[in-house]
Amino acid sequence: MATITLSRQLGSRGDEVAQAIGERLGYRVVYRDLLNTAAQRAGAPELALEVLDVLGLLQTSATPQAHQAFQQALHELMVELADQGKVILIGRAGCVLLRERLDVFHVRLVAPVAQRVERIAQQRGLSPAAAQAQVEASDQTRRAYLRQHHHANWDDPHLYDLVINMEKLTVDSAAALVCLACTHQVDRHDSPLERPLG
Amino acid sequence: MIPPWSVPLAEAASPQPTFSHPMEEIFARILGYYGIQWHYEPRTFPLAWDEQGNVTEAFTPDFYLPEQKLYVELTTLRPQLIRHKNRKLRRMKELYPEINIKLFKRQDLRDMMIKYGLVDEAEKLLGTEAQNAT
Repeated sequence: MATITLSRQLGSRGDEVAQAIGERLGYRVVYRDLLNTAAQRAGAPELALEVLDVLGLLQTSATPQAHQAFQQALHELMVELADQGKVILIGRAGCVLLRERLDVFHVRLVAPVAQRVERIAQQRGLSPAAAQAQVEASDQTRRAYLRQHHHANWDDPHLYDLVINMEKLTVDSAAALVCLACTHQVDRHDSPLERPLG
Repeated sequence: MIPPWSVPLAEAASPQPTFSHPMEEIFARILGYYGIQWHYEPRTFPLAWDEQGNVTEAFTPDFYLPEQKLYVELTTLRPQLIRHKNRKLRRMKELYPEINIKLFKRQDLRDMMIKYGLVDEAEKLLGTEAQNAT
């Protein structure tokens, strides 16, 4: 498997797992560069800020035309990166944009809300109420992004090849699971019995 | 790795600048919260010259975000101020079409900052003085 997309909830340790997978497989992890490059290609660099601003603190609002151009640029960029291979693409609906490709493996990381709230509160030195508000705002923003731009349900497990509940797993064990699943996919596609005809 | 939300202001842009308006410091802290690199007023763009070639009007955007290759100018919601800044931005586009610049109209963020646990910053930065300043 040449490319992995990773969707994650705030507080599910998704970024850490992505780094761990990258180290195990020798893949590079792409997140911010993806947004910035796509926004610049779309001629609306401020869109990268809007996408990062999950709490709505920057109060930006690009035009629908800019959003459309950004989505197009994002799609093209993801395809380019997937063609290059050995890459982990975090977020931005990679599971939808690269859905048709057999060489891309889609991973989703989730965790119980209470655990995510506790983790965010601890990491950021917040009260439980503030951490809860951040988690809820992040979920809402990310869910709305998929619905608005791709008419997809962020929580639909069918969008992903592997969904991992991080409640009882370490970062390393989750990374190992993803690597194992990817390897199995490679084996399956390489098997003459499993290879599509034609 | 230091998570982006823990990056203090001084590390986000070193050395720490002296902001001319509390709104700018709030904006810088929000950028720091998201781990977005920034520079404060790094460049001045001449907009007009006299017959001797001396600069008679110039514009210094508040921030430059190197990762986004974007200049940012902040303004309050006062219509007169927005008109004035929009005029400068139009002139910027004419003279420097290769420069990306965006005008951000700032509203009161007090309630949101309290909700998300940034209350200390809100109290410090959004006090009476900040609310009364342009």
